[in-house]
Amino acid sequence: MSGDDLLTGGHRDAGPRDVDLDRVWLGVAGQVWRRRPGPVERAAGRLLRSPGLARALVTTPSLLLGWVIATAIVLIAGVGVTLGTDQPWVALLAPAVAAAGIAYAYGPGIDPAWELSQSMAVSDRMVLLVRALAVFGLNAVLGVAASAASGAAAAVTFGWLVPMTAVCALALAAATVSRSANVGVVAGSAGWVIAILAGKAADGRFTTVVTDSSLFLPYLAFAACCCAVALAATRIPRGTR
Amino acid sequence: MNVELTELTRKFGRTRAVAGVNLEAGPGVFGLLGPNGAGKTSLLRMMATVLPPTSGTARLLGRDPGAYGPRREIRRRLGYLPQTLGYYPGFTVAEFVEYFALLKDMPPQQVPRAVAAAIEHVGLGDRARAKLRTLSGGMLRRVGIAQAIVNEPELLLLDEPTAGLDPEQRVAFRALLRDFGQQATVIVSTHLVEDVGAACTEVALMDAGKIVFYGTPDELTARGEGTGAAGDAPLERGYSAVLTAARSVTAAR
Repeated sequence: MSGDDLLTGGHRDAGPRDVDLDRVWLGVAGQVWRRRPGPVERAAGRLLRSPGLARALVTTPSLLLGWVIATAIVLIAGVGVTLGTDQPWVALLAPAVAAAGIAYAYGPGIDPAWELSQSMAVSDRMVLLVRALAVFGLNAVLGVAASAASGAAAAVTFGWLVPMTAVCALALAAATVSRSANVGVVAGSAGWVIAILAGKAADGRFTTVVTDSSLFLPYLAFAACCCAVALAATRIPRGTR
Repeated sequence: MNVELTELTRKFGRTRAVAGVNLEAGPGVFGLLGPNGAGKTSLLRMMATVLPPTSGTARLLGRDPGAYGPRREIRRRLGYLPQTLGYYPGFTVAEFVEYFALLKDMPPQQVPRAVAAAIEHVGLGDRARAKLRTLSGGMLRRVGIAQAIVNEPELLLLDEPTAGLDPEQRVAFRALLRDFGQQATVIVSTHLVEDVGAACTEVALMDAGKIVFYGTPDELTARGEGTGAAGDAPLERGYSAVLTAARSVTAAR
């Protein structure tokens, strides 16, 4: 709507007596008060073909600036430790960090407007999915950047992405079943620590979990199972007929 | 009928929060009264498609909320104010209402004007750009009402909407309810009997998960006449008389 339209409520030819001031005011107020989407939201809106989903994405609790900065700091510290010890700590840290982010993407107690969003036409499960994908993607990008910076971990840069998928799926399943993000974080972190320790027990190296490509298929199968659990946990049973 | 509930039941473990409710409601303002724990919120949450029933049948706006497509259509035409409104403290009033307008799948070009209209409707025009964290409890309640009405819903469900509102705001709010009740079905859950008397055309009284009275506010008032039931106002005496009668029947069983 142009400035003239705003002032006349769209009735350019109308005389002053015909101007509906309430209508004009609502037009002006609507334009003044509306939130101007940032570049990320505009891109997401085009990609997802839903302004509602795009807005839900940028209000992700675990994509808030504080969380992103914390993730970056953890991974930068990982780079430092990796360079100092010659062990690929970034590869070992990144999956757990991503899992925590995924667990905090959704749910009662974490998303303040969770109950309200459950009554919305844009499915809350869809909101969960795009938020989870965004957190996962962001962590993957940060992790790859950190791995590349550490040098020593270059060989396993992509090796940990598959385990990260499995750990994130575990955190998501636990968070949705228990309806508690903290349970999701604990489950994801504990699962990853157990996997690392199991690798260490099997062949004496902590890094087995991210270097042994024969584990990738079981990781993906496990991730698929966890995603099925998360889908079941967020389902609204028919049960009304 | 916009709301048709048949033997609707919701259990939490062994507790039956809602125990076989039958209800039909068309356009108008419908009051849901009852003491704390009567099952009002669970019933409202089922009608808001937030909580699935354990058994029974629900049809909302002529559709089955159990199927994905119809549920989405119902939600487009639904307004819901939960008992506890969760909000993003860093959002402004306008951003919050806009967020839910978008999640309700409103056409984006209609959203700014609809948001402004909803905010003006609840009298928060002068606070539209204030962060939610700076608002009082009553103002936050009005923000919740604004997000519920932003899509001009055909079914408006309000859980304790007047909690935290001052007397002047409550009077204005009742006028808003009557306005919406001209075309939409408005269901208001409350334990404030005077809200029902002032704004509702019909009233249901719930106790222990069941509807123990259904009728007009005048009929509820009549139930209290000559009974010596407790209450400061005629409607309150009717409320007390119906509850006492329902509980004595239950106890006798």
